[in-house]
Amino acid sequence: MNDSNAAFTLAPAADSPRPLALTPGQDLRGYLSALLGRAVLFFITFSSVLAVLLILVFVVIRSVGFLSGSSIVEFLASQNWRPTAEPPVFGALAIIVGSLYVSFAALVFAVPLGILAAVFLSDIVSWKVRNVVKPIVEILAAIPSVAYGFFAVLVLAPWLQKQFGFSTGTNALNASLILAIMALPTIISVAEDSISALGRELREASYSCGATRLETIVRVVIPAAHSGIIAAVVLGMMRAIGETMVVWMASGNAPQIPHPWWDLAQSVRTLTATIAGEMGEAPETSLHRGALFAMGVLLLLMTLGMNLVSEYFLARAKKAGGRT
Amino acid sequence: MRNLHVRGQLDRVFTATTALSIVLLTLVLVAILGPMVYRGSSAVFFQGTVEFRKMQKNLFGRGNEQALNAEVAETDQLRRQVYQMIDGFKKGVDVEALSEQVREIYRQFGQELRDKNVPTGQYTKLRELTRRIRDKLETAFHSQDINEIKRAVAEVLKEADNPHLKGTSAEKFFALARQFLQAAGQIDLSKHQEYAAAVQEVEGILFHSDSLPGLLGPRPGEPPAPLTMLRYGATRWDQAQVLLDRFLWVDQWVQEKPGEPLVLKRRPRAELFPESLRPLFAYVEQNADKMLHPRRTIYWQFLIDDNINSHYFGGIGPEILGTMLITVVGMLFVIPLGIISAAYLVECASDGWTMRIIRMGINTLAGVPSIVFGLFGLAFFVLFLFPALGFEPKPCILAASMTLAVLTLPVMIRASEEAIRSVPASYKEGSLALGASRFHTFVAVTFPAALPGILTGVILSLSRIAGETAPILFTGAVSLGAVPHSVFDPTRTLSYGSYDMAVGDRLAMMVPHNQYGMVVTLVLLILILNGAAIVLRTRVFKKLRGH
Repeated sequence: MNDSNAAFTLAPAADSPRPLALTPGQDLRGYLSALLGRAVLFFITFSSVLAVLLILVFVVIRSVGFLSGSSIVEFLASQNWRPTAEPPVFGALAIIVGSLYVSFAALVFAVPLGILAAVFLSDIVSWKVRNVVKPIVEILAAIPSVAYGFFAVLVLAPWLQKQFGFSTGTNALNASLILAIMALPTIISVAEDSISALGRELREASYSCGATRLETIVRVVIPAAHSGIIAAVVLGMMRAIGETMVVWMASGNAPQIPHPWWDLAQSVRTLTATIAGEMGEAPETSLHRGALFAMGVLLLLMTLGMNLVSEYFLARAKKAGGRT
Repeated sequence: MRNLHVRGQLDRVFTATTALSIVLLTLVLVAILGPMVYRGSSAVFFQGTVEFRKMQKNLFGRGNEQALNAEVAETDQLRRQVYQMIDGFKKGVDVEALSEQVREIYRQFGQELRDKNVPTGQYTKLRELTRRIRDKLETAFHSQDINEIKRAVAEVLKEADNPHLKGTSAEKFFALARQFLQAAGQIDLSKHQEYAAAVQEVEGILFHSDSLPGLLGPRPGEPPAPLTMLRYGATRWDQAQVLLDRFLWVDQWVQEKPGEPLVLKRRPRAELFPESLRPLFAYVEQNADKMLHPRRTIYWQFLIDDNINSHYFGGIGPEILGTMLITVVGMLFVIPLGIISAAYLVECASDGWTMRIIRMGINTLAGVPSIVFGLFGLAFFVLFLFPALGFEPKPCILAASMTLAVLTLPVMIRASEEAIRSVPASYKEGSLALGASRFHTFVAVTFPAALPGILTGVILSLSRIAGETAPILFTGAVSLGAVPHSVFDPTRTLSYGSYDMAVGDRLAMMVPHNQYGMVVTLVLLILILNGAAIVLRTRVFKKLRGH
């Protein structure tokens, strides 16, 4: 092996410090420095993974005191959230439900709209029009969440209150409408990617069978792209459940489960808003702070789970796209 | 097979619906940005009054002193009549103030007598006399019967010719008595207290109350109020109009028919007062613009000034500075990390399990909720890393920047990776064929070619860092505080400031232009950055397609 390589090695050029083809035996220093460089680069690249691990470790460590000291059952099953009472009660059920509640409500608004918009961008308009329309979606994604929250509190809340006679404008409806707007760009771009990745053949086959565009899209394109669309919905949900400023400002922050369940006009509270709102008042090393970190762990687990689901579906969508 | 016509119709309806979804999105965008930009721009472009120019001169040393003085003289001329009308009216109603005045005159007169060394006998007599006058006047002030008042005042005025009182401070008694008699003749005495309260409210709206500024600002000669915002009247014409409206109209809950719920009614405030004060309302309404001199103003210094009294006056300079600091420090971390990671992923990646783990790490990092980054920043940077390195474990710019750098790392990596990947392979192959090493090829060929695309990633990360609020809640943002001196101080930022003003107290609600001004500055900053990124990307895309 070494000999055969040596036979093909060119003689170094006059001004070149070392030969071009390397084996450890020929240029140990060059080989090692290349390896070292690669290792350094690898380590830097690995910092993303390191960051994820550090996030997990440090958020979990801070919550260990709470999770070992009090009952997880109470945390997950009780609706009483009274962190400053004597003795404190940390029942986060209503808050967990609140998080899921506004996120699902947001999806109810965002998914139909998002899929329609994705179909519009991929199947209906020309490339040129698409390039004009796409920035609208991008601007919606770029507006910072605090600006959405600002709009929710100062514009949407008074308007809802006046228009529908709600007792308060900062409620689940307000929060979920804004969350829907914020989740839309994610849903649209992921769904559009997977729909347009399907290729022309599928569509042309359908058209040649005499199907209209509606029939093609509903019966052929969307079923074929369902993996990508599911991934889009999951990613949209992730965006909604992890959002802080908007729900903190717009949801009313009442730790209660809406009753009746469909009444969006009631105030709710979410995990993110509770962390944001109470961290400043929770003394260090207190159970309260531990409980808030435990909420962070819960959020982290939810988003990690959803991330895995979305990756699974995205991988499937990629495979499906590659096959056709 | 359904009817062809129906199918065609359905198809058209469907197309229209999809188009409608985009129209709806556009409308939402306009509904959010339109009012925000419109109202936010009024922080810079508005009708500034003479009070605004006074404030700018006194607090920031801006403006032409001579012109301002001339303007102040002109407006004061007209305001004087307002002061006179109110003072005249108060002579009749403000019982406590009048009593206090009379007692003061009595004390002053006694001091005068002692200073003149008047003989003891006469001193006692005169003291006795003035005490009687004082008590008589006080009864008159507190009386609700006009005849009793007339009688008492007449008795007091009998002493007006007393030679011992001539030329002394006791003469003020008689001037006061005459004024009071005149004022008392014009009002319903049974409403003394009501009038006193109402006139106090009017003074609150016109001059200032304990906590809120008024239309015209404090009266000349008044000791300066402790709060800066109370030392000036309405600095903006829109604010002045709100105050004018409150001055002219009063909302009252009235029962129109027995048994029915109360309804909110708007009636002229003038009706709360007797005839003698009504001209004041017409006068102020007609002369408001002449008393305030509204003039088109461009207050660009909004972007550099510090705020005064929780954003009542001033601008958002420290917030902009803080946002820039956090962003720049964050970029110092994220740019090298992001570019190196992307380069490694493209150039050195084999499709092994390590790569899969790294990719999963990046995707996971992108999905972590922003508030969890805040928790992480607090637990890791502030409470673990800083003490370990010997720094004080407190929230600061450095902690916030590092937290945001971790948050935006996936954005940077993805954009850079895409940029590096889209460099045509022929570039690289050409360089390698010339004998350059892989490292040299990357630095000299691939990186420059990918630079515009990488720049897009940089800009997107910038805008992400500038806009995030949740991660810096516990790691470095404060709502009020000094301008930071180093990266180890916490800072105000546009994002946290927008939150703080949106949910803030009554004071913030009184200055919507500053509320909206803050959030619009943030939004425009981010949209400009994103617009630049979009333009850059389109140009790069065109260029690469052209090859």
